[in-house]
Amino acid sequence: MNGNAVLDIRDLKVSFKVRRSGRKYQVRAVDGVSLSLAEGEVLGIVGESGCGKTTVGRSIVGLVRPDSGTIGFKGRDMTGAGLRDMRLNIRMVFQDPYASLNPRRAIGDSVAEAGDINGFFTSRAERSAAIAAALTAVGLDPSFAARYPYELSGGQRQRAGIARTILPSPSIVIADEPVSALDVSVQAQVLNLMMDLREQLGLSMLFISHDLGVIGQISNRVAVMYMGRIVEQAATRTVLDDPRHPYTRSLVAAIPKPDPSKRILGAIETGEPPSLFKRPSGCAYAPRCPLASQRCLVEVPELRSVGDRALACHNV
Amino acid sequence: MLSVQDLTVSLGPATAPVDVVAGVSFELAKGEILGLVGESGCGKSMTSLAVMGLLPQPGPRIRAGRVLLEGCDVTQLQPWQRVEAGHGRMAMIFQEPMTSLNPVRRIGDQIAEAVRVHDRVSGPPAMARARELLELVRMPDPAMQLSAYPHQLSGGQRQRIMIAIALACRPQVLIADEPTTALDVTIQVQVLGLLRELCNRLDMAMLFITHDMGVIAQLADRVSVMYAGRIVETAGVEALFGRPRHHYTRGLMDCMPSRNSGARRLPTIAGQPPAPGTVRAGCVFASRCAAVREPCRTAAPPRAEVSRGHEVLCTFPLDDGGPR
Repeated sequence: MNGNAVLDIRDLKVSFKVRRSGRKYQVRAVDGVSLSLAEGEVLGIVGESGCGKTTVGRSIVGLVRPDSGTIGFKGRDMTGAGLRDMRLNIRMVFQDPYASLNPRRAIGDSVAEAGDINGFFTSRAERSAAIAAALTAVGLDPSFAARYPYELSGGQRQRAGIARTILPSPSIVIADEPVSALDVSVQAQVLNLMMDLREQLGLSMLFISHDLGVIGQISNRVAVMYMGRIVEQAATRTVLDDPRHPYTRSLVAAIPKPDPSKRILGAIETGEPPSLFKRPSGCAYAPRCPLASQRCLVEVPELRSVGDRALACHNV
Repeated sequence: MLSVQDLTVSLGPATAPVDVVAGVSFELAKGEILGLVGESGCGKSMTSLAVMGLLPQPGPRIRAGRVLLEGCDVTQLQPWQRVEAGHGRMAMIFQEPMTSLNPVRRIGDQIAEAVRVHDRVSGPPAMARARELLELVRMPDPAMQLSAYPHQLSGGQRQRIMIAIALACRPQVLIADEPTTALDVTIQVQVLGLLRELCNRLDMAMLFITHDMGVIAQLADRVSVMYAGRIVETAGVEALFGRPRHHYTRGLMDCMPSRNSGARRLPTIAGQPPAPGTVRAGCVFASRCAAVREPCRTAAPPRAEVSRGHEVLCTFPLDDGGPR
């Protein structure tokens, strides 16, 4: 797509085999997603649970194997090969800081793990210095290296998770709902930290979240996903201030605004969420869509460019 | 309708109790929605469990205070004793409907079970009432859904089932503990809309617990903000959002991403809440308060009514709605 893209994903498809009441289903979690991430950019991926946003992130770091499609990192196709090299360059921050740190390992050992595996350190002193530097960078005292996850608050654990991510000096960070498990006051601290790190370390970031408020805060561009496909993609302000796809419109309208004079309850219609087992034949959003026409029921809308954005809808 | 007076819930031995809820008081009028907002560990769920009589045993206990339901103190009564004494018209819904529903029993049976307890009917009349309740929560195809299992329903539908079960006792008071936190925003808005409609239609009061200031603004009539086991501010929803008087309330609002769209950095509240029982003197928020002064560290702040119906627990409350 883009000459200076550090990450270029084309036509990614991922499916899972699921067994339900004795029958086997093939659930297509990601159904032809193309994305590119420019150097130093933060691209937000937003969508409801089950839309495939996490699967996109996990395929990039090789935690799930795509059915087809390519994942290009700085011009090289990474699908299937060179995992070790890639894993040092593309790192992931996970949602749940309680589940993603090994409870029986000291924080320092978790933070240093990628370096240990890849022979980064020639001496103990060098290792300790790297751990201390990573912890300092995320606003934790170096003494946290000797502590265990149970001694840390949620915000501190997520900071430790970020320290682990940045230790090998990656160029891309995939952040999968990194602040969803945190309280609002702590969430703001961690978001600020991620913005600081992006600037200081020149990171490019794929920021996956269900929360448009958080996405609006941190990302330059947003891709909105629905049932495995991108339905709208544009600069963050364009999407938030003037959503065009009927699904994006309903997502933006449903954000509970912290203003009692702008009440929306009972005033908007959002429809029932889809079943992954029964994908509609045409546009996946058609059953919930106020604009759905006959064409939407039979023909899947392709993502096309409309002015300064990309849209997948027959009717806007 | 419901009056909670000086409720104190403690952990640990009776000789050295640690108060996780320290002297919480609020009133809930007929048909009113009171939002209780706070971060994790502030004691908001413990408060609701204590009011419901559902504190886990052994564990936290009510050390002081009263919970009056229509003037009758129910603090010492087990839930079944409340039903027998005619004070059973209080119900609760929780965050994760899947863990509250029995996965191997049909929806209809689970609703009918609650009907049997409260209406003393069984068989077809109980099932008919179950169907009525499903209609009340606007479940599509209520007759068909009676024979469905929880796993066949979406998260939003499961939460509707929980609400239907809660309504079986014809509650005067419904306690909702983060009922939409696990739901997507598009479904959250539907469930919140349903809850408000039910409060209006059934003249039911609701205590709605959440950490989300946006949800509170959308739903509540009045709001209590909780911090470290205490209610630090209570006001009508318009007054609270228009002119917050406690520094913590103001901080919570300031750090919401949706209030800062486009800002380079979010305002934050430094540090984290104190562990229960670690603040021995002064104001519990002093260690994080941007406007802290010397008296805050030594003297407990007074509870003052700054304007009609607007109470704040602070020695030096914010005196204007503008930025600090």
